[in-house]
Amino acid sequence: MKEKILVIEDDPTIQAQLKNLLAGNGYEVEAVTDFTNPVEQFRAFAPHLVLLDIKLPGSSGFEICSQIRAFSDLPIIFVTSSNTDMDELNSIMLGGDAFITKPYNPAILLAKIASLLRKAGASSQAAEVLIWNGAELHLENSTIAYGGKAAELSKNEVKILYYLFKHAGKICSRSDIVDFLWDNQLYVDDNALSVNITRIREKLAGLGLTDFIKTKHRQGYTI
Amino acid sequence: MSGKLFLKNRLPVILLNLLGALALSLFLLAVGNDIQTVLFILTVWMLVLALYLAAGYASRKKRLEKLLEMAGQLKERYLLPEVMPVPDQAEEQVYYQLLKLAGKSMLERIGEVERERGEYRTYIEQWVHEVKTPITALKLLCENNRSPFSREVLAELENINRCAEQALYYARSEHTEKDYSIREMSLADVVHGAIADNKYLLRQCNMAITVGDLEPVVYADDKWVRFILNQIISNAVKYRAPQQPALHIFTERSGDQVLLSVADNGIGIPESDLPRVFEKGFTGQNGRTIHSSTGIGLYLCKRLCDKLGIGLAASSSGSGTTITLSFHINDFITGVQS
Repeated sequence: MKEKILVIEDDPTIQAQLKNLLAGNGYEVEAVTDFTNPVEQFRAFAPHLVLLDIKLPGSSGFEICSQIRAFSDLPIIFVTSSNTDMDELNSIMLGGDAFITKPYNPAILLAKIASLLRKAGASSQAAEVLIWNGAELHLENSTIAYGGKAAELSKNEVKILYYLFKHAGKICSRSDIVDFLWDNQLYVDDNALSVNITRIREKLAGLGLTDFIKTKHRQGYTI
Repeated sequence: MSGKLFLKNRLPVILLNLLGALALSLFLLAVGNDIQTVLFILTVWMLVLALYLAAGYASRKKRLEKLLEMAGQLKERYLLPEVMPVPDQAEEQVYYQLLKLAGKSMLERIGEVERERGEYRTYIEQWVHEVKTPITALKLLCENNRSPFSREVLAELENINRCAEQALYYARSEHTEKDYSIREMSLADVVHGAIADNKYLLRQCNMAITVGDLEPVVYADDKWVRFILNQIISNAVKYRAPQQPALHIFTERSGDQVLLSVADNGIGIPESDLPRVFEKGFTGQNGRTIHSSTGIGLYLCKRLCDKLGIGLAASSSGSGTTITLSFHINDFITGVQS
């Protein structure tokens, strides 16, 4: 089952792009279109999480938050451009679970959403083992296993493999992989990525997996 | 009050007295008084006149000095007409009225200027919040459609966002009211957050970043510290080394302080410029070669740090600059917690 997220945001571009971003990350998304009665739409959609702007036409985000809180305790993330202490305090007092200021980093927003959904118990536990072509990536102990043998991986290597496994079958550009590593606070440059890929290939070869990661000339890597 | 000037002002009175004395002595001599009597009368007259002048001088001097002292002690000197005693001399009362009028009109003017400044500040805050909406929209558009082109746009967006924030914090730094709250904050979150804010800029110039061990918590305002780090990181990008630029962020403990250092291997700051880098508008030698220097960034950092009670220091060894923020670990707070 896909988790449902309701976006309450009045800027049409942000609304559309947020929908794209969230839908692309496996959520079912709906955006409030009628700001005269967003709570009505909330009830009809029954989301697992709400992204809420503060400045809205009609009632403010704070009012909507307290209206929702009257009957539901689902996670609410305030996403706003005003970053004063007062607004942050207000949002927490009214029962908001997180306060993210614009312009936000999409990776951080997605991480926040995932962690709040996990806490709320709506999300099934994140899969700790990823499998592709017989290779198993174990996240909890940072190992890759194949044919009964396993190899230890470094932090960087786990994240690189995680990204490739998540996009299995697709071509992942080098920049996208580096972006993903940066979002995970691993500040790796292009050269270091090559070094890491070489090391992963050596480890995979040790398990009997050759040519698992294929290089697409001038495009990136794929598994 | 100068005695000479006082006497000069009393010149008509003294001349009148001398003239009267002369006339009286001539009259007394003409009606047959001897010279000794006349001299005696003149001496007494002059003594009384001198006494009158001296007493007048002393009492006035005392009163005026008291006023000067009152003005010296007053913090808002323009409020003096409100607190000084009403003078009893006719002339002085007019001056007193004039002083009150001038003070009142100035207070009105100050009030007006303060109101205008407040309105302007509110406008700047509003503007910054407004501009964040299109920035966010652009950022999401680019992130959803990644390409080498959108990465360049994202890097420029980071610049725009930082400039907008700078305007906001500049407005806030001028305000006397407190816009921050000191609380426990994680240095790791703030440092990684600041790096994320400059992700595309740093990637664009291939900056090698290493983050050392970070002290877990300090007491400050996370938003403000993140803004300060943003400015420092953007400086490291602006004044980077042409080959293999690198940035190292780490903390050390020194006595009861946590030192957070941001060290780059860039072009550095000449020793003669170092003491002035936190001055407003100072761009120094580097500013003359790199045209995007404004002399605002570090000045603003210093002001914000002063407000938060964080130490800010710059050092440079010719190649590379290290900016160090020193956070006090309050003994009282740790004492209560343990």
